[in-house]
Amino acid sequence: MTPMVDLGFLLLIFFMSTTTFKPPERVSVALPGSKAQVHVPETNTIIITVNKQGEFYISDENLSQTQQVTREDLDNAIVSWRAKNPTAVVVVKGDKEVDYGSVADVMDALAATKTLRFNLMTDLKKPKVDTAKKKK
Amino acid sequence: MSVDVAAAPQKGKKSALGLRKRKRVGIRIDMTPMVDLAFLLLIFFMVTTVFRRPLAMEVNVPEPGAKVEVPVSNVMTAYVMADGTIEYDVGQRGLAEASWEELRDILVLELDYNPDLIVLVKVDRSARYERMVDVLDALDEARISRFSVIPMTEADKAVIGAQ
Repeated sequence: MTPMVDLGFLLLIFFMSTTTFKPPERVSVALPGSKAQVHVPETNTIIITVNKQGEFYISDENLSQTQQVTREDLDNAIVSWRAKNPTAVVVVKGDKEVDYGSVADVMDALAATKTLRFNLMTDLKKPKVDTAKKKK
Repeated sequence: MSVDVAAAPQKGKKSALGLRKRKRVGIRIDMTPMVDLAFLLLIFFMVTTVFRRPLAMEVNVPEPGAKVEVPVSNVMTAYVMADGTIEYDVGQRGLAEASWEELRDILVLELDYNPDLIVLVKVDRSARYERMVDVLDALDEARISRFSVIPMTEADKAVIGAQ
């Protein structure tokens, strides 16, 4: 039994050391799939979430102080968050089901506040999804 | 002390140093609960671990108001309609409908044909956001770096509707 227990502990230590706990998300978003290979930075980000209903939320990577903002306040919110952390990477986290218009509003707001470089958060597109689409 | 021991005559089981060899008591620790706990934790961490970090597409947008003049023959316009269909028009040659699967191949072909190709992506505001990501993804895969995402105007919709 000793080798099995050894292996068990090895795996235990591996998973313990690799686990990072994700803070509970107040806004749940189904990300669109893409074949992008770049990872979102783990720290130093400003995340603008657009949920399925087209509501806007702004937060940092901890998602702890998520605040809802309206379209009108979006520009001001981006400016104040960027002022708090000028080096942060702006990530737009849009639900795949949401109307493009809502995301376009976010991108317009980013352009208006001179945030000309930002990321769109996506999920890895699995080949399975592709074949399913082809069947359609 | 060692002197005493050495002086003492040999009797019974005694080592060279004269210490009596104690009978070893086999210590058995029941490891079952510990192993149980270890496996419990193992299962817990295995279940809660997420290896995948979300991916990102980097987007650089031009300054608002920046204008670049480009010859119309170099421009390919891709229209994403509200119902999720995609139509494209290369150098005003006329609209053609494309399917999402062949979009990447079309882009590769057109880029091959005209390396100076610039793609304008016009997405209807009521189209799904996923569609725009799909277009960007196809552009990225076709290695087209010169594109711009612009809003679809009513005039565009009228043009498409007329054809």
